[in-house]
Amino acid sequence: MSRTRGYLILLLSALIPVMTAAAVGAAERSTCLSCHGERKILNKGTHLYIDPAKYESTTHERIGCVACHTGVTPRHPADGVRPSRAKCEECHAAVYAEYEKSSHSAYAGCTDCHKPHAVKPLLAVSGRDINIQCAKCHDNSATVKSHAKWLPQAALHIDALPCITCHTGSKETVITLYMAKRAGDSRLGGVALAGYEDLRSFIPPGKKIGRVIDSNGDGAVSLDELKAFNTSSQFKHISLLGTMMPEVVTHSFQILANRWDCTFCHASGPNAQQTSQLAFPEQGGTYSRMIVEKGAILDILYGTPDFYMTGFTRNKTLSIIGILIVASGLMVPILHGTLRFLTRSRRKER
Amino acid sequence: MTEQTPPEQVYLTPTPVRIWHWLNALGIVTLCVTGIQIRFPEYANIFGTYKAAIRLHDIAGITVSISFLLWIFYYLVVARNIAKVYVPTLADIKSGLFQQAFFYFFNYFLGKDNPHTATPDNKFNAIQKVTYFMTMFLLIPLVVVSGLLLMNIAPLRAWIIAIGGIKFLVDAHYLLACSFFAFLCVHVYMATLGHTPFAHFRQMWTGWEKMEHTG
Ligand code: HEC
Ligand code: HEC
Ligand code: HEC
Ligand code: HEC
Ligand code: HEC
Ligand code: HEC
Ligand code: HEM
Repeated sequence: MSRTRGYLILLLSALIPVMTAAAVGAAERSTCLSCHGERKILNKGTHLYIDPAKYESTTHERIGCVACHTGVTPRHPADGVRPSRAKCEECHAAVYAEYEKSSHSAYAGCTDCHKPHAVKPLLAVSGRDINIQCAKCHDNSATVKSHAKWLPQAALHIDALPCITCHTGSKETVITLYMAKRAGDSRLGGVALAGYEDLRSFIPPGKKIGRVIDSNGDGAVSLDELKAFNTSSQFKHISLLGTMMPEVVTHSFQILANRWDCTFCHASGPNAQQTSQLAFPEQGGTYSRMIVEKGAILDILYGTPDFYMTGFTRNKTLSIIGILIVASGLMVPILHGTLRFLTRSRRKER
Repeated sequence: MTEQTPPEQVYLTPTPVRIWHWLNALGIVTLCVTGIQIRFPEYANIFGTYKAAIRLHDIAGITVSISFLLWIFYYLVVARNIAKVYVPTLADIKSGLFQQAFFYFFNYFLGKDNPHTATPDNKFNAIQKVTYFMTMFLLIPLVVVSGLLLMNIAPLRAWIIAIGGIKFLVDAHYLLACSFFAFLCVHVYMATLGHTPFAHFRQMWTGWEKMEHTG
């Protein structure tokens, strides 16, 4: 009894600083951002500016500026004291430990890939966002070139897949569909990912962006809803492009031998019927995901007309039609050949 | 040249057409076999790895495309008899098809003669004309165009979306491929129906055909 109470007190006392930090955080954030969120601070140095729209959609926003920057005095910035910066590993010990073990930790630190004031969870980013992080050091055309040595359609793969699907150890991948729009200036053959603004006019008033496709609002996308979306003339300029995202984030950046084998992705195993996800662009550049009905990515016409992975998302009915065409071709030699054999004496007589 | 050869032979298939034909045949057969592995990798691992099948498929596809250009160039620019040789006439459609089919599926078994005699300007019977016409003017161009689009998805994505999406393209490519497979079965078999089983093959290799009624 007293032991339990002891634990309870321990727990509460551990929670208090967090709770007060959260409360204070909100207040301090607005004071900090009253300078650091204003564009005029750019004059003092671009590194001092924090984009409030981006910051406010992060989880870090909830822990507050001073959780990471202690030592900001009331006289800041006039006091000339440089506030501290928390080290990521103080709070992300597990990720840090994992990353330290990978050889990549010698090449890049946490803040080379993550801006502390604009962090996003995996579910809120697109594959394109991730590859932009990597492209800071791994020049895109150089990557395409080095991968083309062994990877057919390297440009397509590098465009369509996040690097981490091949270079981190998540055992499972999730087919994720992104909304794309026609755009003359994009690298993607005139197609770019669509943002919230591109879809704003299609969102029913007062509803979330998911309702653009999820018309019945049940929080999931069915094949019928996809069909309606794909055949609607309203959305002629919007298409769904697919990619494979890792199911979980790992920080063991490495070369994985099994990704060298195309059938890791290009063979329809038990996963072919998997549910997939649709990523809707949100304001502030993040994404929200919605589950898509099982098997929809295999539908020939109306599921995902612009997403196909050779060998993996093939349609069974169509495969059978093709085999029947071949079989009917084979019947000619078989039937004619049999009759020919049976009547061979008639031709010899001649 | 012509004087030295026995009069019962006729020069039916000029060298460029023969070069095209065998490049094309090799290409299409390779495409079919690699294609099986590409669509059904769990069931068919013919070339060791998936990418070996893809690479070979790409090379064969380019071979077929280039040899198709050779074929067009020869028939349009050099020989200029493409219309005569390949385009079925009204008579071909109205009566020729039936006559020829009647021969293949009835009279042939009775041991009667082929109603069609091949000459350089009229070397195909009605059935050949119709199937070769469809193959060369419809199937090959479609399969080449869909194949080239599929080899360049990233740069041509907007076009692919405009024609109905990559799934439509892939599935059309697949059904076309199956039609080629079926064509091949029939074509190779029908080629053994000459006055000897190998007469047409010899002709397609040397260019010279022995006239049937003299044999
Ligand atoms: C009155 C405007 C103002 C407010 C409010 C303010 N800052 Fe600053 N801050 C500045 C200026 C100006 C600098 C640049 C000082 C310099 O370079 O000497 C700065 C610098 C900083 C730096 C780092 C400087 C460096 O180069 O290393 C940090 C970190 C920082 N502020 C955090 C905060 C936090 C956290 C808050 C809220 C608790 C806050 N600031 C509130 C104006 C402000
Ligand atoms: C999760 C921890 C974290 C939070 C929360 C956080 N920061 Fe930072 N901040 C950092 C880190 C780490 C750096 C250093 C980045 C680097 O080295 O690139 C930094 C850099 C800065 C800088 C620029 C200093 C420089 O050296 O470039 C300013 C200004 C700043 N933060 C202000 C703020 C303000 C204002 C808030 C709240 C609105 C805030 N930070 C919230 C971790 C945080
Ligand atoms: C004071 C504690 C603290 C520090 C220091 C800190 N983080 Fe976080 N971070 C959190 C919390 C809490 C979350 C949200 C819960 C979670 O995902 O673990 C979070 C989430 C994240 C996320 C995922 C975004 C999300 O919304 O879930 C990333 C990426 C991230 N942090 C990176 C960093 C990096 C890089 C640094 C160092 C510059 C850092 N963090 C420093 C507390 C911290
Ligand atoms: C080479 C680039 C890279 C480095 C270095 C890196 N990360 Fe990440 N991290 C990523 C990517 C990519 C993701 C997934 C996309 C995203 O959330 O931004 C990610 C995601 C995360 C997440 C969110 C996990 C989730 O489940 O959503 C956290 C937390 C995180 N990183 C922390 C760290 C910390 C702490 C470090 C330093 C020890 C670090 N990262 C170093 C690339 C990197
Ligand atoms: C700050 C720079 C930087 C960033 C950002 C970065 N890398 Fe690297 N990375 C390097 C360097 C340097 C090397 C070693 C030289 C090389 O192989 O190119 C490397 C090597 C690699 C390797 C080869 C590892 C091996 O075992 O040989 C992989 C895989 C890799 N990076 C993946 C990524 C991915 C994925 C991202 C984005 C999430 C990323 N990197 C972001 C700097 C970076
Ligand atoms: C289809 C899976 C796949 C994707 C997507 C992929 N890689 Fe790789 N990558 C590999 C494999 C497999 C190797 C090892 C190649 C080898 O051993 O020849 C490799 C090698 C590398 C290397 C080390 C050798 C070299 O070629 O420089 C780096 C660095 C690298 N990748 C970075 C990236 C980056 C950055 C991205 C995203 C823009 C990316 N990769 C996307 C599979 C992939
Ligand atoms: C191993 C595969 C093949 C073999 C053994 C073969 C055999 C032959 C033979 C013996 C002929 C001459 C008989 C005739 O005129 O009908 C011929 C002609 C022809 N074949 Fe094939 N063939 C093959 C593949 C193909 C393929 C894949 C195509 C097209 C897709 C094709 C298209 C044609 C055409 C158009 C002709 C007439 C050529 C001309 O004289 O202009 N063949 N083939």
